[in-house]
Amino acid sequence: MKLSPTKVYKGLNLTAFSLVMIFLYIPILILIVFSFNDSRIISGWQGFTFKYYIQLFHNPAIGEAFRNTMLIAGLSTVISTTLGIMAALGLENKQFKARKGLLALIYTPLVIPDILMGVSLALLFNFTRINTGMVTVLIAHVTFCISYTVIVIQSRLEGFDYSLVEAAADLGAKPHYIFWRIKFPLMLPGIIAAALLAFTLSIDDFIITFFTSGRGFDTLPIYVEGTIRRGTITTINALSTLMIGFTLFLVVITKRIRKILISAL
Amino acid sequence: MLSSREVLQEKKKNLSSWLLSLPSMIWLAFFFLVPYLIVVFYSFLTQDIYDVKFEFSLDAYRQIFTNGYLQPFFLSFKLAIYTVVICLLLGFPVAYYMARANDKLKNTLLILIIIPFWTNLIIRIFSWRIFLSYSGVLNGVLMKLGLISQPIEILRTNLAVILVMVYVYLPYMILPLYSVLEKLDFTLLNAAMDLGANEIKSFFLITLPLAIEGIFAGSLLVFIPALGAYLIPQLVGNQQSLYIGQVITYKVKNIPRNWPMASALSLTLLFMVAIMLLIIYAIYRHHLAKRSS
Repeated sequence: MKLSPTKVYKGLNLTAFSLVMIFLYIPILILIVFSFNDSRIISGWQGFTFKYYIQLFHNPAIGEAFRNTMLIAGLSTVISTTLGIMAALGLENKQFKARKGLLALIYTPLVIPDILMGVSLALLFNFTRINTGMVTVLIAHVTFCISYTVIVIQSRLEGFDYSLVEAAADLGAKPHYIFWRIKFPLMLPGIIAAALLAFTLSIDDFIITFFTSGRGFDTLPIYVEGTIRRGTITTINALSTLMIGFTLFLVVITKRIRKILISAL
Repeated sequence: MLSSREVLQEKKKNLSSWLLSLPSMIWLAFFFLVPYLIVVFYSFLTQDIYDVKFEFSLDAYRQIFTNGYLQPFFLSFKLAIYTVVICLLLGFPVAYYMARANDKLKNTLLILIIIPFWTNLIIRIFSWRIFLSYSGVLNGVLMKLGLISQPIEILRTNLAVILVMVYVYLPYMILPLYSVLEKLDFTLLNAAMDLGANEIKSFFLITLPLAIEGIFAGSLLVFIPALGAYLIPQLVGNQQSLYIGQVITYKVKNIPRNWPMASALSLTLLFMVAIMLLIIYAIYRHHLAKRSS
């Protein structure tokens, strides 16, 4: 049998894909397996245990970090998505005089390393003598989420079918009726995508929170980093496994919501 | 000519645009623009022993060029370049394979790429620490295979930093590449090969030029965060050679804080990013002009 070059390339691509998959998943799988390992040090399997998960739930610091993370993520999602919806609607008008300026404000943060937003906000709070804590973290999170929410919602509005709005207006529908009954439902998938993105960005963020949180207000990434540095890592395996589970849950939920929305519209 | 009614309507539309975008505009002005102005201001101030003194000086900038601060910049720049190149070499065949898969498989493959991408950054870094550490899994396996007689130091090296950077940022390269390759018309490739071009030739003449937008987007998405990386060098790198993200963070976090220095270093990093963006944009423009002619 003669192997055609095309087949060889296909084989190479499949090999590359498989290797990358192994590369992407091996560390995560090891982490999950070792979260059930009954040993203080990481090398070697010492038997199955749930004890780190139990320790996890009895650790008040982790509970508080978890609540802080969810609070910040929830609030920054709501605020940044609301601001994003409004800005995206404002940007719809191509003749809008401040359109270019606003777009520049929205796109620039995306091409600047995160650490610089952290430093500049830390300096702002230092300069204005605002005490760092929950409020400053929330401000920071909304600031880095806005760009993403505006862009996601705006891209949805770009492909918008205005003939529907015009038809409704011709038939005598009032503007607020048109907005809530036609436009908003059509924007909804974009809004949900934007909110989910803001939520994940917020719970994932380390560096900007690190610069704006100060002492006494830990989110989960901040807590985990501190624990790794101090070297007490046994419960972190278990915590990480739960967080990976949460990620999977989010992925499934997103798919579900999208499906429901598509069938509903 | 616009009728007065149309003018009025135009005005009303503009007003509502203002009202709708004003909150975001104010927010970003206050919390994005103003902080950078303060950074610029502080970069020209003097550092006392304990705190900043409100006196003009170029000290911070002078120190960047004389006190060994160029080394961290260089190290970060090298890291960013390595990460981009390796991600591109690994990511391209992966994206290509995904783009040519059938629709059902495509979705599954996409999810397989997205799951690690959505997993918390710090957890992904942490998992590599377990894998690479002195008493970790990799050393254990290598010893059992008899390849090494005692554990080797893999964690806390610059190699580990590159490895984990590639691991974290690979999806940022694969996803944009995939989205351009998916739109690629593969019949073009078949046509080229029917006309006698071989695989390598058709790759360079057709696939690569058409994928160039994805390559630019992916490279930027990897390059920018790599340049400012703090967490990965901090958790898996050695602490003898510092990256610029670490240096800036120490200036802000370690007491006594040195705001002028942190500000000057931040602006220098920003300047580097801007130069890179301009270069990439120029290459991109050049490429577009060449393609249209």
